[in-house]
Amino acid sequence: MHSVVAIKQVPDTSNVRINPETGTLIREGVPTIINPYDIHAVEMAVRIKEQFGGTVTVITMGPPKAMEALIECVEQGADRGILISDRRFGAADTLATSYVLAHTVEALQEAGPVDLLLFGKQAIDGDTGQVGPGVAARLHVPLLSNAVAIESFDPVARKAVIHRKIEQGIEVIETSLPALLTVEKEIAAVKRAPLPNLINAASYKPELWTADAPVPFDIEQVGIKGSPTIVGKAFTPPAREAGAIMSVAEKGLSEAVADALAMIVQASVVTLPNQNGGRP
Amino acid sequence: MASKYTFDAIVVGGGPSGTAAALTMARGGLKTVLIERGRFAGAKNFFGGVMYTHALADVLPEYLERKPPFERPVTEQGYWMLSPDSVVRIMHKSEHYKQEPAEAHTVLRAQFDPWFAEQAAAAGALLITKTTVTHILQDAKGRVIGVRTDRPDGEVYAPIVVIAEGVNNLLTQKLGLIKNDLPPRFVALAVKEYISLPPKEIQARFGLSGANEGAAIDVFGDATMGLPGTAFLYTDRAGLSIGVGMLLEEFVSHKLRPYEVLARFKNHPAIQPYLDGGKPLEYGAHLIPETGYDRMPKLSAPGVMVVGDAAGMVDAMHREGTNLAMTAGKMAGSTAIAAHQANDFSAGFLRQYRKNLEATFVLKDMKQYRRMTDFLDSTPHFMGTYANFLNDAALRYFTAHGMPKRDMEKQIVGLLQERRSFFGMASDMLKLLRAMRG
Amino acid sequence: MSEQAEKPTPRIWVFIEQEEGQPHPVSWELLGAAGRLAAELPGSVVEAVLLGHDVAEIAAEAYRYGASRVYLIDDPLLETYRNMPYGVGVSKLVTKYQPEIFLIGATTLGRDLASTIATRVKTGLTADCTELAIDPKQMILAATRPTFGGNLMATILCRKHRPQMATVRPRVLTMPEPLPAAEGELLREPLDLSESDIPVRRLRLIPGEEQINIEYADVIVAGGRGVGGPKGFTLLEELAESLGGVVGASRPVIDAGWIGHEHQVGQTGKTVRPKLYIAAGISGAVQHTVGMSGANFILAINSDPNAPIFQMANASIVGDLYEVIPELIRQVKGAGNGQ
Repeated sequence: MHSVVAIKQVPDTSNVRINPETGTLIREGVPTIINPYDIHAVEMAVRIKEQFGGTVTVITMGPPKAMEALIECVEQGADRGILISDRRFGAADTLATSYVLAHTVEALQEAGPVDLLLFGKQAIDGDTGQVGPGVAARLHVPLLSNAVAIESFDPVARKAVIHRKIEQGIEVIETSLPALLTVEKEIAAVKRAPLPNLINAASYKPELWTADAPVPFDIEQVGIKGSPTIVGKAFTPPAREAGAIMSVAEKGLSEAVADALAMIVQASVVTLPNQNGGRP
Repeated sequence: MASKYTFDAIVVGGGPSGTAAALTMARGGLKTVLIERGRFAGAKNFFGGVMYTHALADVLPEYLERKPPFERPVTEQGYWMLSPDSVVRIMHKSEHYKQEPAEAHTVLRAQFDPWFAEQAAAAGALLITKTTVTHILQDAKGRVIGVRTDRPDGEVYAPIVVIAEGVNNLLTQKLGLIKNDLPPRFVALAVKEYISLPPKEIQARFGLSGANEGAAIDVFGDATMGLPGTAFLYTDRAGLSIGVGMLLEEFVSHKLRPYEVLARFKNHPAIQPYLDGGKPLEYGAHLIPETGYDRMPKLSAPGVMVVGDAAGMVDAMHREGTNLAMTAGKMAGSTAIAAHQANDFSAGFLRQYRKNLEATFVLKDMKQYRRMTDFLDSTPHFMGTYANFLNDAALRYFTAHGMPKRDMEKQIVGLLQERRSFFGMASDMLKLLRAMRG
Repeated sequence: MSEQAEKPTPRIWVFIEQEEGQPHPVSWELLGAAGRLAAELPGSVVEAVLLGHDVAEIAAEAYRYGASRVYLIDDPLLETYRNMPYGVGVSKLVTKYQPEIFLIGATTLGRDLASTIATRVKTGLTADCTELAIDPKQMILAATRPTFGGNLMATILCRKHRPQMATVRPRVLTMPEPLPAAEGELLREPLDLSESDIPVRRLRLIPGEEQINIEYADVIVAGGRGVGGPKGFTLLEELAESLGGVVGASRPVIDAGWIGHEHQVGQTGKTVRPKLYIAAGISGAVQHTVGMSGANFILAINSDPNAPIFQMANASIVGDLYEVIPELIRQVKGAGNGQ
C-alpha cells in the first residue's frame, strides 16, 4: 500500500501584503505554511497507512525552503519526502506543474505500485484547483475532486468508495484504484502529531530531485517553457468608493437606521415591505 | 523507557539561553533535544534590540562565518531626555565602534533566534518545535529525569534538564525553585513596534553614513510619561524598532494602556519626525523579568538547571538580557557536560553552574544593580523630574541673551529647587549611587 | 460559413453545464460574455458545447443566449456527470473543431472538467476569472483573476496554445437578456465509450440538507466575527427573512463553526452579486470583499469606526449590531414609525 501526497508550501495569505506602488507581493517577512487543504490530505494518507500498512510519500515542487514543509509532513506521519526543485522549474503554470508531479509519480511507480494519490482541493495562493485534476489526466487515473470522506477502502480488490462534495449534496462514488483525490478539509481532521514523530522528523532529510537526477525531466515541458499561460500584468484590485457613514452615538439609533434604509430605497435596489423606509 | 526517547540532555525553550545551552552540549558530544513551543525558535519573541557579540562569540566563536542576521552595527549610542515639548540629547559616536567585529548589533529576534537555533541543530541538537513542555518528570527521590509534553506519547527522558522557559516560568515554579509568580512590581512590560523605512531614509534621519552604521538610543522622561521605565529607538537595516518598557505595576496603578503609552511616545515632537512616513509592520508586547539578584530562583536542583529569563537574568539598569542569557546557557551546558563525564547529576555537582556564573559578568552585574528596581520604585519622580529640569535648564541656557550669566545660573538652580527640595535631591542622588554600586 | 477558408473562423466556445436536464445559469452568463468577446474579435462566432442524456432541448435555450451552433454529445453514459467520460467527450470536440477560446463555469463540476480538458489538449487554463476581454494588440484573451487571497489581480494571457481556456464563477458576470426567438445549428457527435471503459460509478447522491442558493440571492445579510457567536445568526436570519433574503458569513465565522460553509462568501467561499448586501460585524478583509464587491448596494454595520468595510460600503452604521439589527427589523417590518 503506497500513497503519494502532493503538497505546496504557500505564503500565509492572511498575512500577505501588497506594495501599493508596484502592485507586487511583499514576500519579505510573510510566513509560509503548508497549504491548509494539503495537510488534511497527508492526515488521510497517514490514517490509511495506520489501517492497511504501507508507506506515505509526500512530494512537492518548490524552492529549497519547501524542505520545511516536507519535514512537517514527516512530523505528521509521512515516511518519505521528496522536494522537486530546480531553477528551470520556476515560473511554472498549472500545466507545467502537473507535468512535473505526474512525472515524479511515474518514477515512483517504477519502484512499485502507487495505490492512492492525494492532493488538497486547491492552494490558497493561486486558488486554481487545477494541478490535481491535471495530474490525474496525465496519469490516466480516475479523478475524484472535492472528496470529503472515504467510505470504504479495499487495497486488495483495488476499489474504494469516496464521498464528493458537489453542489447538489454528497455524491457517493465507487472507483477503481489507483485513483486521485483532491480533498476538502473534512476528509480527515488533523490530529496532533505524537512526539516520537517529531523526534524522527527533527533529523530527517528529505530527498532532493532536480531536473536531471535521479530522474530526467523533459525540459521542454517544465518551467516557463512548459507553461502556456503568462502573467500579462498584476495590479491591486480597484476600490469601491465609501458612502455615508452614520454613527449611532451621534445620530441616535432610529435616525441612523432610518437614514440607511432611506438610502437603500433611494438606490431602488430592493423593495422594502415598508417602502417609506420606516419614516413616519 | 524506550531508548529512542532517552537523551543525554533536554532543553526546554529555544530562546537565546536555551539555544546556547543546547549548542554547547551538542558540541560537547551530548545527545541533546531542544523543545520549543512556538512554530519556530523565536516565534514567541518579538524584540528589536541590541545584541552584544561578546556573549555570542563565547558560545559560537565562528559566528561571523555563519552569517548571523544582524541588522546594523551600533556605532552611535546615547540617551535622549524628553520633557513634554523638548529633548536633551547626549549621544556618543566613535570610530572605535566601527572595529570589526562590532561589539553590538541591532537585531530582530524573529530572525536571530531561528538562525541561532539552526546553529544548535547544525551542531547536532534535535530541534522540536510546536511542542510545549507541561511537566518536569521526577523520580521517587525528586531527581529530575525528563519532561512530559503536550503531545501524544509525549515523554522524553534525560539525566539533565535545562529549563529556559522564559519569563513565564511555570515549570520553575512547579519544581519549587521559586516561590510563586512574580508580582507586577518585578515584571516589566515592553510594547514595541517595528516600523519599516527605506535604508537611505534611516541613514539621512540619523546621520549615518551607510548600512555599516547604526544608532541605539535610550529615551527617558516624557517617553514614559515621567514614570519609571525606559523607551528605546533602534535603527535596523530597513526599519526602526521603537518601544516603551515600564513595570507592569505602573501600567496597572496608573490605568495606562500599553499601546497608548507607545502611541503617545511615537507622537512626541522630538520622535515623530524620525518615524514619519514609516509603515508599522509588527506590533507586540513582551514581559521582562525584573526579578533582581535577591529574588532569583534557585538555579539548580538534582538533574535540572534554570537559565535566562526564567531565572530572572536581566540587568534592568542596562536593559541587557540576551547576553546574560547566552552566557548562562553556556555555563549550564558546560556544567552538564562535566556532569556526564563525572556521571554525577546531584544537586551538589550542579551547584558548579551557579559558582561558575558568579565569576562572570552575569551575576556580578546583577549583584551590583540589585537595588535598582527598588530605587526606581522608591523615587518614582526621578525620571520625570530630572528630564524636565534638564530641558528647562537648556532652554534658559540657550535663550537667556542679555542677562548676566550669573543670574541665569541662579534661575536654573531655582528651577530645580522648584521641583524638588534640596534634601529630596540629595536623597535621590544617594539612593542612585547606592543602587549603582550595589 | 466555410470551414475550408484560409484563416479558420475563430470559435468562442461556452460549456453548457446541466444537471438532470437543468442548465446552470452560469452557462448563460458565459454566453453573454462570449458575445462581448466576439464583438471585439472580428469574424468570430459564439458556439456552445452540451453533454448529457436526453438534453437536446437545452440547445434551444443556448441559441436564445447567443450561441449560433451547439455541439451535442447525447449518451446514456453521460446521465450524471463523471470526470472521465465528460473529459474524453469534450476533449474530442476540442481536438476536432479547434476553438479559439473556451469558457467554462467555475462550479464544482466546471472546475473538475476544465482542468481535465486543458491537460488533455495541453493548453492554458485561467481559473476563476473576474473579467474577460480581448487584448487589442495581440487579439488574444486577457483573463483577469484575483490571486493571493484576493490581494492581487493578475491578467493572464495564453499566447501560443489553443483554445485559450478560462473559468468564471457564477454571478461574476451579468446575466444577459435572452432573445425571444433565435435559431441555431445542432451538431451531434458520438461519445464512443462503453460503461466498462469508465473507472467510476455513482452509487448514490445524498442531497444537501437545505439548498441555500446564496449566489443568486437578491438580498444577503452576512455576519462576521463581530457577531460574537452562533446565537447572533438567528438575529441575522430574522432580518434576512424580513427582506426576503438569505444569510451569508465570512470565513472566520465558518472556521469557528457558527454556521455552515454553504453560507460562506469570499475568496474561498461563494461570489455573490446581490442587490443588497448587509455586512454585520464584518471587518472587511479583502478575502471577504472579493466575494461581495459586485453587490449593488452595501450596508455595513460595525462598532469599529475604522473598520475597512466602511471604505467600500454605500452606507455604514457605526454602532452595536445587537442594537442596530433589531431596529432595522423593526423599521423594515414597519412596526415602528422610526421615531
